[in-house]
Amino acid sequence: MYEFLSHNQLYVVLTVTLLIWAGIVFYLLRLDRKLSILERELKRIER
Amino acid sequence: MFGKIDEMKIVKIASIVLITFVIVVGMVIPMVAVPQTFWQFPLIPGLEEKARNIFYHVPVAWVSVLGFLISLWYGFRYLQTNDFDNDLKSVSAAGLGFMFCVLATVTGSIWAKFNWGSFWNWDPRETSIVILLLIYGAYFALRSALGSDEVRARLSAVYSILAGLTAPFFIFVMPRLVGGLHPGAQGDTSGSTPVAQLHMPLNMRLVFFLSLLGFSLFFFWLWNVCVRAARLEQTIFSNKQ
Repeated sequence: MYEFLSHNQLYVVLTVTLLIWAGIVFYLLRLDRKLSILERELKRIER
Repeated sequence: MFGKIDEMKIVKIASIVLITFVIVVGMVIPMVAVPQTFWQFPLIPGLEEKARNIFYHVPVAWVSVLGFLISLWYGFRYLQTNDFDNDLKSVSAAGLGFMFCVLATVTGSIWAKFNWGSFWNWDPRETSIVILLLIYGAYFALRSALGSDEVRARLSAVYSILAGLTAPFFIFVMPRLVGGLHPGAQGDTSGSTPVAQLHMPLNMRLVFFLSLLGFSLFFFWLWNVCVRAARLEQTIFSNKQ
């Protein structure tokens, strides 16, 4: 893996951008879960 | 006549367009030893293709500082107004800043492996980002340890001001004072500053600053969504009692 990446350095840049993308997706998933909990709570209050 | 302009809509569209542009152009433009046209980047020996990381790694680090400074500002506003909305804005900005700080560390570590030979070198900037992560880690620990809303908001506002004041020191000052591996460290003769590589050619600088702008706008979008979720949470849980 290290061999391959050090000979194809553009893929190092690709790895970096993919990691940033992964971080943003992770953040969105957490926010999504938080909103689901809030929606459930809201429904419970309305009933 | 045109109705109210929705600023968030502009922020969303602009950030999507800019970041997409930067990802495509930053990767696609070829790197050659002696650029002949505007559509070629120079190939810097030692950096080579990895120089493209500047377009992604540096803006992420910048957005992290932006988050911490916004957190400082709304912490200050909370102490002025005692309005809980400012507390929500402050903690949301700090959370996002922390996330981008982690991303800057991880992406920097990957870059360091291929440029400096090791994932971690204790370069001054690497040391300072660890301290920053610890400072903001403690901020969230402090928040979760305090039960009462009033006390939590007041204390974390004070903490966010203190932490936000130290952040620029760790990011802009300390890495310049000590010799290190990052550009702009003490003894670096390339004439670059720690944040912007001022010796970059015009076309790279253009992509770089568009990237800074795109990521900053993207930050405001994420922050907006996060604050709205926090407001909803507060409304629901304060109505429950």
